[in-house]
Amino acid sequence: MIELKNVSRRFGDTVAVDGVNLTIETGEVCVLVGSSGCGKSTTLRMINRLLPHSAGEILVDGEDITTMNPEQLRLNMGYVIQGTGLFPHWTVARNIAMVPRLLNWPRERIDARVDELMTLLDLDPSAHANKYPQQLSGGQAQRVGVARALAADPNILLMDEPFGALDAITRENLQLEMLRIQKQVRKTTVFVTHDIDEALKLATRIAVMDQGRIIQHDTPENILRHPASDFVENLIGKQDRGLKLMSLRPVRDLMANHTEPRQSEPGEHVLREEDSIRLALSVMLWQDLRQVAVFNAQGQETGVITRERIIQEGV
Amino acid sequence: MAITETLRPNRVIPVLGVLALALVWLLDLGTIQPNRIVPGTGHGLLSAVGWTGAGLVTGILLATIVLSTLPLRRRYELLLGLIGLSLATMPLLLDMFAALHLPEGSPYARSSVGAGFWSLLFLLSLMLIETLGRLEARRWLQLILLVFIGGSWIVLLRGEGLESLSLVREFNARPDKFQQALWTHLALALGAVAISAGLAFALALKMIRSPAWQRPLLGAVSFLQTIPSLAVFGLLIAPLSALSSALPFLQDLGIRGIGWAPALLALIAYSLLPMVRNTFVALTEVPESLADAARGMGMNEHQVFYQLKLPLALPVMIEGVRITTIQAIGLTAVAALIGAGGFGGFIFQGLGQAAMDLVLLGALPTIALALLADALLTMLAASLKPTPATA
Amino acid sequence: MRVWLPATLLASLLLVLSAGMPVLEPLFNWVQPGKQQVIYERESFLFLLQNHLMLVVVSAAVGTFVAVAGGIFVTRPFGRDFLPLVGQVASIGQTFPPVAVLALAVPVLGFGEAPILLALVLYGLLPILRNTLAGLEGINPAVREAALGMGMSPVQVLVRVELPLAGRVILAGIRTSVTINIATAAIGSTIGARTLGDPVIAGLVNGNTAYVLQGAILIGLLALTTDSLFEALERSWDRRLQSVGV
Repeated sequence: MIELKNVSRRFGDTVAVDGVNLTIETGEVCVLVGSSGCGKSTTLRMINRLLPHSAGEILVDGEDITTMNPEQLRLNMGYVIQGTGLFPHWTVARNIAMVPRLLNWPRERIDARVDELMTLLDLDPSAHANKYPQQLSGGQAQRVGVARALAADPNILLMDEPFGALDAITRENLQLEMLRIQKQVRKTTVFVTHDIDEALKLATRIAVMDQGRIIQHDTPENILRHPASDFVENLIGKQDRGLKLMSLRPVRDLMANHTEPRQSEPGEHVLREEDSIRLALSVMLWQDLRQVAVFNAQGQETGVITRERIIQEGV
Repeated sequence: MAITETLRPNRVIPVLGVLALALVWLLDLGTIQPNRIVPGTGHGLLSAVGWTGAGLVTGILLATIVLSTLPLRRRYELLLGLIGLSLATMPLLLDMFAALHLPEGSPYARSSVGAGFWSLLFLLSLMLIETLGRLEARRWLQLILLVFIGGSWIVLLRGEGLESLSLVREFNARPDKFQQALWTHLALALGAVAISAGLAFALALKMIRSPAWQRPLLGAVSFLQTIPSLAVFGLLIAPLSALSSALPFLQDLGIRGIGWAPALLALIAYSLLPMVRNTFVALTEVPESLADAARGMGMNEHQVFYQLKLPLALPVMIEGVRITTIQAIGLTAVAALIGAGGFGGFIFQGLGQAAMDLVLLGALPTIALALLADALLTMLAASLKPTPATA
Repeated sequence: MRVWLPATLLASLLLVLSAGMPVLEPLFNWVQPGKQQVIYERESFLFLLQNHLMLVVVSAAVGTFVAVAGGIFVTRPFGRDFLPLVGQVASIGQTFPPVAVLALAVPVLGFGEAPILLALVLYGLLPILRNTLAGLEGINPAVREAALGMGMSPVQVLVRVELPLAGRVILAGIRTSVTINIATAAIGSTIGARTLGDPVIAGLVNGNTAYVLQGAILIGLLALTTDSLFEALERSWDRRLQSVGV
């Protein structure tokens, strides 16, 4: 668990972060979102003491970080940045193994862990382990960056606009990866982005920041339904809220279940239980259908969802 | 944020200042020699210039230390003035020294500059560089300062009081030889650069038109650069003297195994690498996409070259000229060993006679020429860089 | 292994010639007829070669140490203030002609090997310093940030990340420095150091072209050997790091 109590950061006369109070529960993904210069990156970098805070307290699992050795603190936190920061003179495997080697893990354990992580992040170890970062695509490099951050199994993951430098398609793929991984490993994560859609997609709770202060700290749904100020409303997009809310709810919530799963031929697009109802609506509009069959992970049809129900109860 | 940054106490100048204070008090400011050969007696700061002089020097140094740590807005401008003036008037210290210590009625007695004076000069120059850097001074300001300080020195050195300075004595003993050395040095160095520039241009064009020639040409030219100049001068003597004995009319022109001919040849050879490389890079660095855009709008190849490639290539080529000129000035000094003349002559003569100030008479102008060439050519390159259009 | 071949060949040629110059007496007799002595015999060539090498190697070692240490110092947070000045001095210093620097060392330290060493160290450390600064400053800041953020101590970042990445550029600087120093050391014969420049100077003074040739050939060979040695070193470094362009 991470607690920021009245934390501020000053450079001379400028106040970059102004009296921030934030609690990030264990296992939660907290996304700091705001425009450039709002203080989100600064806040993140105070958590692992890359920047000292000028006032207030930061506690990690109850301990004040200023009483801890900074290197020890950081060895226990994964750190992913934009532009990856992978070491060009080390292979992919060596890059991932960085923190375990600093911690003096036995050789076999390190090798096994590297393999495990590369597989987790969908990178074939036999193909990529001995490559150098310059030989990878942007998306692959950032996957290695994430693997490196997870290598020593830290309790906390810090991510500073990790997907900002990637193209839209790769970014979306990596966001899905993050969601998938988070289901498996459940790390306490602090994620910084300027992209509200990314925040809505990934967060357990979002902290909207502006000019060094937190304007609203709540779940994505609550931020969409009850924005705390004009600023937040503008950020989420005043008019797009309906569909944005729909993208947060799974089809599972509104489908009419069959009494038992059936085997049937899926249509052109397979709609799954965990897909959002926004996606379901999109499919129905495109194919001009009043309802669509829903499938589970095993490929069996478990129910249907109707256009009517989405429109009436979706938001 | 910007305000507090610029008012932070400067850490470099105090360090330099303290070092300067230590060295100027510990080392000899100057020496008095009864004649040219006998080694002289050294004088520390206090002994050399008395309490007034020592107080002045100490006071100025302390002022620079204090001023650099104060959070004043204009402190760097003030420092510039203080340090600039001090540097310009440093020869007056030697004046004081001579006035205090030179024995009367002893025409051969002379004063010489000591390590303390040199250290002070060096450290004040470093402080000047630091101050100019913090002010982000433009090039022309730096040049004006250099001219001012240099000019002041020349004026002061010609004055009555400093006639007894050993360095000045050496100059006064041979003013026409000095002039001749200057012209010879310039002629050789600049001549070599000019000729190699022309050759390099032709070679670069050849390399662009026939890419197969690129590697061998660059290889040949870098090969030459690796060999130390002394060796090249030496290696040219035999063939050239054989040539000149075989063709007597060459001897009438002054082309011999030694002298200016092998020197010029070797200088041209050495100037080729930086010039060819820079010219080639300069002419090829213009991206083809730019050239295509020009062609697409109707320019023919000729126009593309003269209106697009050449103007953009000019700053890089000037940079090549700069490197080459500095190198040539240095090598010309070495060429004095094979009889080419120039300032190197004084250096080696002085070394042979153990007359240090004659060595200085050769070394200092060489350094000054190199620095001057550097300053002028950098300014030229900067002025030729296409300035971004301000909307 | 093949990359070391040119250097080994040249080195062997250099050694053979230094030891066996007298064998070529008839050749030099043809070049310089009418002189009693055509082979320089004041010192053995091997001794001169050894001395020359010693001067260059010692000054390279000291220069590298000072320059790299200085370069590291001014790129650390506590030394940043000195970076602009040091960078400028490294640039301006290279404008000074080496022969002038050599000449200026004499009033300070007299004649012999000491002033040469001083001049070689001072002048030789400038290209290394310049390259160290360029190499360290040229590292992608994200790499340093990631290393620190993941828990490396500043010393570990320097030793395991920054120096390996800057090493290639620093090596190129050392190469430049050594090349210049071989030439400067040769001129050092004029101030009493006994180097391969001795036969050249002696030959110029006495009008003995054979002496000059012998000195010049050996100096040239030394320069070429060192250059191809560094070329091989640079290639091995590249191979170790397998950097595939930036």
